[in-house]
Amino acid sequence: MMHLGLSISPFGHHPQAWRGKTVEAPSVGRLAGQVLAAQAAGLDFVLFEDRLGQRPDAGISPLAVPFEPTTLAAALATLAGDIGFVATAATTQHEPYNLARRFASLDTISHGRTGWNLVVSGRTDGWDDEYAQVVTGLWDSWDDDAFVYDKAGGRFFVADRMHVLQHQGLHFSVRGPLNVNRSPQGRPVISHVLTPETFDIAARFADVIVIGPSTPEAASTLVADLRRRLADARRDLSQVKILAVVTPWVDGQADFARLGELSGTTTAEPDEGLMTVGSPIEIADVLQHWFASTGVDGFVVRPPITPEVTDRFIDRVLPLLRQKNLFRDGYTGRTLRDHLGLTRPDLNSPAARENAS
Amino acid sequence: MTQKPMMKLGAFLMAGGHHIAAWRHPDAHATAGVDIDHFIALTQMAEAAKFDMIFVEDAAAIRERNPDLAGQAARSTSFEPLSLLAALAVNTSHIGLVATASTSYTEPYGLARSFASLDQLSGGRTGWNLVTSASDLEAENFASSGLRPHAQRYERAEEFADTALALWDSVEDGAYVLNGDSGVYVDPHKLHPVDHHGRHFQVLGVLDSPRSPQGRPVMVQAGASDIGKDLAARTADLVFAAAQRLDDSKAYYDDVKSRLAKFDRQPDDLKIMPGVSPIVAASESEAREKYEALQALIPDAVGVALLASYLSIGDLSGHDLDGPLPDMPETQAMQSRQKLIIDTGKRENLSIRESARRFAGARGHWQVFGTPVQIADALEERFMAGAADGFNIMPPLFPTGLQDFIRLVVPELRRRGLFRTEYQGNTLRDHLGLRRPS
Repeated sequence: MMHLGLSISPFGHHPQAWRGKTVEAPSVGRLAGQVLAAQAAGLDFVLFEDRLGQRPDAGISPLAVPFEPTTLAAALATLAGDIGFVATAATTQHEPYNLARRFASLDTISHGRTGWNLVVSGRTDGWDDEYAQVVTGLWDSWDDDAFVYDKAGGRFFVADRMHVLQHQGLHFSVRGPLNVNRSPQGRPVISHVLTPETFDIAARFADVIVIGPSTPEAASTLVADLRRRLADARRDLSQVKILAVVTPWVDGQADFARLGELSGTTTAEPDEGLMTVGSPIEIADVLQHWFASTGVDGFVVRPPITPEVTDRFIDRVLPLLRQKNLFRDGYTGRTLRDHLGLTRPDLNSPAARENAS
Repeated sequence: MTQKPMMKLGAFLMAGGHHIAAWRHPDAHATAGVDIDHFIALTQMAEAAKFDMIFVEDAAAIRERNPDLAGQAARSTSFEPLSLLAALAVNTSHIGLVATASTSYTEPYGLARSFASLDQLSGGRTGWNLVTSASDLEAENFASSGLRPHAQRYERAEEFADTALALWDSVEDGAYVLNGDSGVYVDPHKLHPVDHHGRHFQVLGVLDSPRSPQGRPVMVQAGASDIGKDLAARTADLVFAAAQRLDDSKAYYDDVKSRLAKFDRQPDDLKIMPGVSPIVAASESEAREKYEALQALIPDAVGVALLASYLSIGDLSGHDLDGPLPDMPETQAMQSRQKLIIDTGKRENLSIRESARRFAGARGHWQVFGTPVQIADALEERFMAGAADGFNIMPPLFPTGLQDFIRLVVPELRRRGLFRTEYQGNTLRDHLGLRRPS
């Protein structure tokens, strides 16, 4: 079965998508509607991009979601109780302790449905790698059975089930422990949008790797290369999902022409990834072909216009994928790891391990 | 016609309750700290009672270094406040939502952006309680070699506050024009990019969200030092304070309000809401019993460690717990709280153990016990004396402590015309009677 995520944008991922509509400034309701539609369709997760962590210096792009992604995800997670939420944050934006804490809190609020879409700094001095080490280390601050809530005995948690990180590195010095409980799915999922410079960090830390090739041949090569890197990093290949970006213009020939004209070009916007313009059958066939032949585990859907194309993808393409038995009917688990087929990284105290054996 | 002023009420939320031993009480919800529905329910309860706001505190670390002592209290883990606030925002419609965030280990752009975002999510109901981080445990999570001296923490806070205010003003009302015909999404004339080059921060650019429905998030502070009070008088809309006695509360109130003129502000431009921890029951003796039931659950070592942490001294356990507090140097950390503890101890001739037990209920905030009438009397006295514009209610135990206050005391306050029966506006500034910044 393929895995599907939906990237959320106020009007669509095409820069001209907002035009020709009677729209108000992008509201949370507009975004919540897309999330609920994606959940009703049983998608694995929604993704909140963050313009790769850039901040506007003067202008404001219609592509920008006017909400900070991690807090937006926290809010919407209480309104949509099944789907996963992947929020973007760059290693340059937050101190690692603050980021680990934000996502752990979000993972508690969402009952284990959170992912961190890791954006790197671009530095070549090991900053990103050390940052990810600190964050994942902090997420393991508490054994799963640390909190015992023994009122009569006056024991809230068992002291030796708390782990003080004591990280001393080149870039960070972080004592720990994290002041948030371990999450219901063990740790938040880490996702990463691959670039030529980020194979190492993706191979070491990412549970979900998002790639953007535009042809199946390029996808096959990239996936094979990635799998080699993952094997080198001693990762279990079944525990890393590789998803390709797709921009599906479902029944969108006229939209494509209209927005192209507004952009002053008849060629596609230089969006990365697979772009496919056509009927639902044509698009479902393309996705099937990629899934069967390239080794990708699924797709991150970036609708060019929303809600229109989002709805068309859900209403017209998804049923065809289900007919082909390529996508599940609904949710079979509760956490984002469950949705993605990733096992929970358990962290048990010696006592718990003993009881289990 | 002058309308009688109404008091402001906040509900200061904490997982099991403000009392250090609350989580052990039979009525306590033991897993409250990881239960988002618990926090949503408390906020909805306060909203149904027309409270001005809920309030959450913060620390970017666990709060007790000794693992065994930490494990005997419920203070080591909690929700991160901004994600918590976001979740509360979309599950309520009127109540204000104030979260604490430190200026010591965050950056102004990210924090200002997060609060602007929360203010959009909530329709203009958020507030930021600006604090500086004082503890070594926090410093050690952020690579600092040592604690920044008090003055330097505040210097950073000052620059941080000014930068955040400038960022919140970087997008005018109506900047998002969304003219599809002309292709103008945002009117560049309504953007005012920040170009800040300061000692602590370099910040360029605008926030990428529309201006807040209330203009700017409400700025909340709790500064009690001279430098903290000046910062509040210059930049805060609301001040949260700790004072045991009416005289202290009145002196603090007059002091902060008198500083406003210096910054061309009116007395009404800043509201002062001290904390108060009420225990209400049908009779005074029953209220005392409720209090004693909680007090009986405090292990001495836990209470003494809590006191030591607020005194900013490492350890008190080497001292005779039945003797007085030892002399200690003035701390660089929480100066005002240290002073409050020492003064109270001297005034009432308290032993270390007694100080610790006194402090364990509300961490130095005012505690009142009694019938609904007695508690309403106490609140009214301070309100009418000009010692408070309202109160941040700190129930020792959740949810029952807040339920009791709402069920028993709020109707008594309303009967006296001291508290609203309906919301008059939609934003936190509306509730607090603060003008929307132009």
